[in-house]
Amino acid sequence: MKPWSFLIFCSLALLHLTGCNSSPPQFSNRAEFDDLEPYAQEYVSEVLDSYFGTPTESVAWERLPIEYHFAETTVSGSPSPRKVTLDVSAGGHGSIGPGTEIHFASSNESNWITEWDAATGLATLERKPTQTIAEGEAVIVGPGAILKNGRHLYAQHCQHCHGVSGDGNGPTARYLNPLPRDYRNGRFKFTTTNYDFSPSRDDLDRVIREGIPGTYMPSFKLLKQEEMQAIVEYVRWLSMRGEIEKQLIETALADYTHEAVKLRIDGGASRGEIETEFNKRVAEGEIQESLDVVVDLMVERWKGSDLPENMVQVATNRPPATPESIARGRQLYLDVNNKCASCHGDAGFGDGPQNYAFTPGKPGPGLYDDWNNPVKPRNLHTGIYRGGRRPYDLFCRIRASVKGTPMPKFDTMKEEDVWDLVNYVYSIPYEEEVAGSGRLEEMVDSAESETEPAAAESESNEVASR
Amino acid sequence: MKWFWCLFFAFWPILGIAVCLVAPGYGWWFPGPAASPLGQRIDDLFYMILIITTLTFIGTQIGLAYVLFTGARRTDPDVQEKAWFSHGSHELEVIWSVAPAFILLFIALYQLDVWADYRVKDLFPHEKMEGLLSEGLHQKRDEHDNMHLAEVTARQFEWRIRYPGFDEDGNLLPLEREPQPTDLYDVNDLHLPASAPVMIMLKSQDVQHSFFLPELRVKQDAVPGLVIPVWFEATKKGEYALTCAELCGWGHYKMKARLVAESDEEFLEYLRELHRKQFFDGVVEAESEEDEDE
Ligand code: HEC
Ligand code: HEC
Ligand SMILES: [Cu+2]
Repeated sequence: MKPWSFLIFCSLALLHLTGCNSSPPQFSNRAEFDDLEPYAQEYVSEVLDSYFGTPTESVAWERLPIEYHFAETTVSGSPSPRKVTLDVSAGGHGSIGPGTEIHFASSNESNWITEWDAATGLATLERKPTQTIAEGEAVIVGPGAILKNGRHLYAQHCQHCHGVSGDGNGPTARYLNPLPRDYRNGRFKFTTTNYDFSPSRDDLDRVIREGIPGTYMPSFKLLKQEEMQAIVEYVRWLSMRGEIEKQLIETALADYTHEAVKLRIDGGASRGEIETEFNKRVAEGEIQESLDVVVDLMVERWKGSDLPENMVQVATNRPPATPESIARGRQLYLDVNNKCASCHGDAGFGDGPQNYAFTPGKPGPGLYDDWNNPVKPRNLHTGIYRGGRRPYDLFCRIRASVKGTPMPKFDTMKEEDVWDLVNYVYSIPYEEEVAGSGRLEEMVDSAESETEPAAAESESNEVASR
Repeated sequence: MKWFWCLFFAFWPILGIAVCLVAPGYGWWFPGPAASPLGQRIDDLFYMILIITTLTFIGTQIGLAYVLFTGARRTDPDVQEKAWFSHGSHELEVIWSVAPAFILLFIALYQLDVWADYRVKDLFPHEKMEGLLSEGLHQKRDEHDNMHLAEVTARQFEWRIRYPGFDEDGNLLPLEREPQPTDLYDVNDLHLPASAPVMIMLKSQDVQHSFFLPELRVKQDAVPGLVIPVWFEATKKGEYALTCAELCGWGHYKMKARLVAESDEEFLEYLRELHRKQFFDGVVEAESEEDEDE
């Protein structure tokens, strides 16, 4: 063997043993973080560290509406010193099993389950508890376990796109359009909740299960129910973390950006004074107070997003997609007050004039989303519905908009009008040359002829795709 | 020393063959039997080729050992025997050209049947498929050349699936080539009836992928721009792996899905459930109403 080939072999072997990068993952900060004065930056890092920890050593902050543990329940009996029966009337968690940690509140003691009977809630413990266990004592089964599982699954399946901190900037993100979601605004596009709310757990579950057709967000249909729950909680956790960082920088610490400080210095204050004042405000808890307000609002919003009353409400069934309904929908679509056509184009090809309009403050013509990425109104001829193709999904898109994008909400529109619009949107991929001529006949009455409209539609589809 | 090397080189093929002989007893063997009749025939071909190559291997290794030992013996000091110069022997050249040629020709001809049954459209099990569609699934059939039960579209990095929907009376419609308003959609979860041949249309939305059902021994490239019919038959109800077998990009490993082979009724029920979910309009009573008319 030639000496150089031996060298290559050795260095490859060494690389294999050490890996390329062995430092633990770190949360990154948003870009606006760099605008803060160093002491304010330090404050932000401290807050985030104490409430959230690092990706590998995360903290379960009880104030957030997140399911961290497999179960919080009580002891209903202790047949022998090393056995306890837990109250599983609320339904035990599927991930509890041998090796699960169990924490007794009164003795502040952790123990581990060696045998578990899910039906009766009977757990055999690894060692004898130091204190006898009383009936009714509060226990936490799997403290922090959901968050931990969530992190592992997230690292395995999502991180390379959505990034360690959920900033949508993982290593593969640069190849994608649209970009992976940056969770840190607390804004999600495809939800069934009203405009001002975050996604419900079911919304996240659905979007992760089904993927987002037409984008790179893949489907994770084969994950188990418990795995799904863990991922959903982790996404919510990352989103809340990001939102707190954002709010801290934008509201609580708005006086301590380079720019604000420079203005005050120009006005006669000295740099040292401003820093002393900041330290005083921190010491007196003033900054903490404004942070608390922000956190409360956010917690309320996330909690509210899971309540049925904050879901988009539908009172009447979707009416049949008759040609009349489609024609009414077409009228509403063209109506200047609704402006659908100004974005999606007269014929629905996504080429409306707003694509070319300039908005002050934007880097170029066209529409931008909340993340400042250019976004195009959907071409409605493709028959691909990113937020799902159920009539209810389209109803929610129109009622509550595609959140975080310029697509407006139509929450005061009459319900039958929304349904007519939905019927029209559904018919667009089946149009024959003339906009508004799409027919969904089979769906409502296919009693007589199935093959004829089918043939007509396949032709019209070709026209549409041209 | 020379005997050491002779034994050394003879030892490895013997060890190899010995390991192969005991392996099945320890469960070190190929993955289980094929889960489809055609797959079993493909396995038979595989084993036939394995036997041919094993016999060839043993034969050549015996030849090699013979040359090794006789050659080594001739180098003993008191041996007068001369080496036999075989290079350029016309007869030998003919033998080892013609014999493998015959073997290859035999294999080529012998496998034609299986290949044709799998790939030649006229030889697809049309009657059985027609039977499944019209009797098992009560599909309303006016045209008889349309036997697909699902359209599977590979894309980076998932399998998007389109099924035919139901008409107003709850009868399964045939799957048209172009999307229909009644179609049902799913992703990464292909449900099809078991115990009868079924056919899918395979497409790709972006790059080349490959539709691979390892347990059923089905592998077919999905080529952008082509609609490729693929048929298969799961002998037993159950879940089978569906993966992508063509390195299609950095997320290739994500294209893991499943095939669920179930009874005809279960399949229809699955489609009905899909229909219910897909046409959900947000009114909860409406859902139960729909249940009733089915
Ligand atoms: C191949 C890259 C990729 C991977 C892997 C990926 N995503 Fe995404 N994800 C995206 C893209 C791209 C979008 C944005 C689509 C859009 O804006 O329409 C997205 C959007 C989302 C959204 C926002 C949905 C909404 O309503 O706004 C959530 C939540 C999400 N992904 C969660 C996940 C989770 C959880 C995982 C891992 C299990 C994951 N993603 C894996 C690319 C990816
Ligand atoms: C200000 C521009 C604008 C207006 C006005 C507008 N939209 Fe949109 N619409 C968008 C954009 C941008 C998207 C794409 C959002 C995304 O996925 O990033 C979109 C997406 C959609 C979608 C696709 C949803 C999905 O799940 O894929 C539908 C359907 C739709 N709009 C219908 C309508 C209808 C109906 C109206 C009028 C009542 C309307 N839009 C008005 C900008 C607009
Ligand atoms: Cu692939």
